[in-house]
Amino acid sequence: MVKVLRRLNVAVDYPAAQTCCGQPAFNTGYWDEARTLAKRYGEVFAGYDAIVSPSGSCTAMVRNFYPELGTPPPPTYEFAEFLVRKLGVTDVGARFPAKVTYHDSCHALRELRLKDEPRQLLRKVKGLELVEMDKAETCCGFGGTFSVKFPMISYAMDEVKCQSIAATSAEYVVSGDSSCLMQIDGYLRRQNLPAKTISLAEVLAST
Amino acid sequence: MTTTAQQFLTDATAKAADLRHRAVIQSNMASYNAAVARGKARFADWQNARSRAAQIKWETINHLDRYLEQFERNVIASGGHVCWAETSADACEYILSLARRHRVHNVVKSKSMTTEEIHLNDALEATGIHVVETDLGEYICQIRGEPPYHIVTPVMHLTKEDIARDFHEKLGVPLTDSAEELTMIARRKLRQEFLSADMGITGGNFAVADTGMIAITENEGNARLSFSLPRIHVAIVGIEKLIPRVEDLALFWPLLSTSGTGQAITSYSSLIGGPRGDGEPDGPEEFHVILLDNGRTRLLADAEQRDALHCIRCGACLNACPVYQNIGGHTYATTYQGPIGSVITPHLRDAQEWSHLPYASSLCGACTDVCPVRIDLHHHLLHNRRNAVRRRFDHPLQRLAFHAWLWTMQSPARYRLAGKLGALVCRLGFKPPRDFPAPAQESFRDWWGKVGQASCLSNPERKTGKMPVLL
Amino acid sequence: MNAARENILDRVRAALRVPAHRPPDPTDAPIFLPVINSEQRFRDEFAILKGEVVTDLPAFLKEFPRIASDVPDLVPSNASVRDSDLGVTGCDCLIAQTGSIAVSTRSAGGRALSVLPPVHLVIARRDQIVPDLVTAMELLRCRYDKHWPSSLSLITGPSRTADIAKILVMGAHGPKRLAVYFVS
Repeated sequence: MVKVLRRLNVAVDYPAAQTCCGQPAFNTGYWDEARTLAKRYGEVFAGYDAIVSPSGSCTAMVRNFYPELGTPPPPTYEFAEFLVRKLGVTDVGARFPAKVTYHDSCHALRELRLKDEPRQLLRKVKGLELVEMDKAETCCGFGGTFSVKFPMISYAMDEVKCQSIAATSAEYVVSGDSSCLMQIDGYLRRQNLPAKTISLAEVLAST
Repeated sequence: MTTTAQQFLTDATAKAADLRHRAVIQSNMASYNAAVARGKARFADWQNARSRAAQIKWETINHLDRYLEQFERNVIASGGHVCWAETSADACEYILSLARRHRVHNVVKSKSMTTEEIHLNDALEATGIHVVETDLGEYICQIRGEPPYHIVTPVMHLTKEDIARDFHEKLGVPLTDSAEELTMIARRKLRQEFLSADMGITGGNFAVADTGMIAITENEGNARLSFSLPRIHVAIVGIEKLIPRVEDLALFWPLLSTSGTGQAITSYSSLIGGPRGDGEPDGPEEFHVILLDNGRTRLLADAEQRDALHCIRCGACLNACPVYQNIGGHTYATTYQGPIGSVITPHLRDAQEWSHLPYASSLCGACTDVCPVRIDLHHHLLHNRRNAVRRRFDHPLQRLAFHAWLWTMQSPARYRLAGKLGALVCRLGFKPPRDFPAPAQESFRDWWGKVGQASCLSNPERKTGKMPVLL
Repeated sequence: MNAARENILDRVRAALRVPAHRPPDPTDAPIFLPVINSEQRFRDEFAILKGEVVTDLPAFLKEFPRIASDVPDLVPSNASVRDSDLGVTGCDCLIAQTGSIAVSTRSAGGRALSVLPPVHLVIARRDQIVPDLVTAMELLRCRYDKHWPSSLSLITGPSRTADIAKILVMGAHGPKRLAVYFVS
């Protein structure tokens, strides 16, 4: 992500004091704990023009849910969103010759309304062939603590997702959220399926 | 964990692994999705239709006392009776006492989730009254002795062969593999029931305040027969079913049918506004409407989640939900299933006993996207989770774990240490229950520290499976 | 019963003292696509629903020995509603948008006549065709306000079910066939 932004002449900083946006606590109902981390986020990231995250779910937490906690959100963007909507860029000079399919992570899709942006970026990657899977918008089943509390439902959802991926014969499945990729990767590896997982940022960084 | 929650976990585990069930549901959902896409194409502006409907329901629910009183006035003016039932028991008792007074022996029922909610059939049968479900799907459920699997399509989980076997074994008819023949068998049997019934009991999709009418949406015609032939008609509706004007149905009827089945409008969209009118050749002698509370005023009092009462029971959220698709309707073990069920059940029933339902979701938000009246479903699941924690329904160990987690997250040094400990544990060969990929050789944090503000170097290791990085 | 009424209304009023978040307003943009040629649209929708348009009335009637009719001038009645093969009624209007036919206890001879017999024939005039549901509800309001019939139905095609494995079957409980004959 840093490589891509540098290529586009964006001044990038990484405040080392950062930890977590608080979503795991928030999603499990521990809003007081989440609020503490929300306030901390505001302090750690004070003064930046933009905060960019590779994760749609962290970005959604900050933008959509910090207000529910009573903490105003600093200007935070998901990576693809930042490139396309803020910088107005779709071609980042990347090269990744492979057949890929894109998994819409739920937070990016439904909380941030990102659907076209990642695809616009992928279509400009040299050598990349983008195919759509049948169930691109269906949840992979991770859901944070959901995968721990209800592992069998999570697994079934993962299986449905991976079958949809396999049906495209894509070499790679791409997504913004690393938690989705981790969930999907788990099933693909265990079942010895050929597709590999890769984040959007890695694809865009490739030359 | 409550036993209800334990049972849920057991049933969910079994169903999630049931590949036959999964295949049947996936196939059903594919047809449903195609039909709904066609149905939505009939709208010039589906999003505006949702907004308009949300506005009308907001107006009604937030002035509900006024609309309830107007509705009651108009039902009474048309010669009908209104019963206000605070609980399931009150509603059942009203119907039973009516049945006693009128010497009712045979009852025909049309499909109504509200009657499921109050366990009406059990109450009637306990007094020796013969009650038969006339909606084909509900009739099949009754034959099987099972609750409905889905609020709109009660036997979505069954194949034609399953149903043929049930008819053959329970009704003594020859085994057939024709859906047409099975339907005709039911038609013939139920015709006799309609003609001999003393009382017809229906639900209502809407209760129209300005004309005092119950609106019923159906495809089969069994509701029409239930409110036309028997000498008494009882309609039971939750108090949230109110809409202001009969004209509003020009929006709500197609909205409900499009979201429910993809149809432009169902085969029969009826309005009942009283018993047989003056000069009318047929119709019931008496018309009774039961307005049911049964916990709805509790939900009304929760202003944050009050819009859950806007629900028109279309079933779209169930169909969109990947959790529902994998665990099926019976696993929820309660009348209202899927996302709307997980939102309202902790309010309508014991909050602690049902606190597991809002957690049985990955919060994907597909439900909120499809809701025709724009209920903020997946956010209400979050609200219910927060409420459960506030009321200390959570396990003390979980509470402790999150306190510890917070403590870790408040310091970058502790956060880094936790990350390294996790990586170390994995390297020592501990197999986590989930399939985690190997942690990266080098965290982003370390990479940044080494490279610093210098020009980018290509990093040979792929970074997967780490906590997301914030710049 | 009255105590319950007061209890429920009191709880409702108490609950509503706290205001709920108001959803964003809808726009003025039309919700449904406009209906261009009402008669053609009605015929098209009606055909998709497997409705039948009768052109030769005597030939159609020959099929049915026992007829219960609320339009005796045109189709004489010779059976009761319960014993008929065919029910004949008028209607309030026909709706092009959905191919629906609006009937009431007044326009269709009660409640059972248009649903109990296995076949239902509607006698209608072309000028009874209205473009959409909104217009239909306006018409019904105009006609019946202050003295509504005890029941009305919008009938959209014959009775049907897809409860068995999503296989469409006609004639679940209501009429298996729905026909319309236009006089004039």
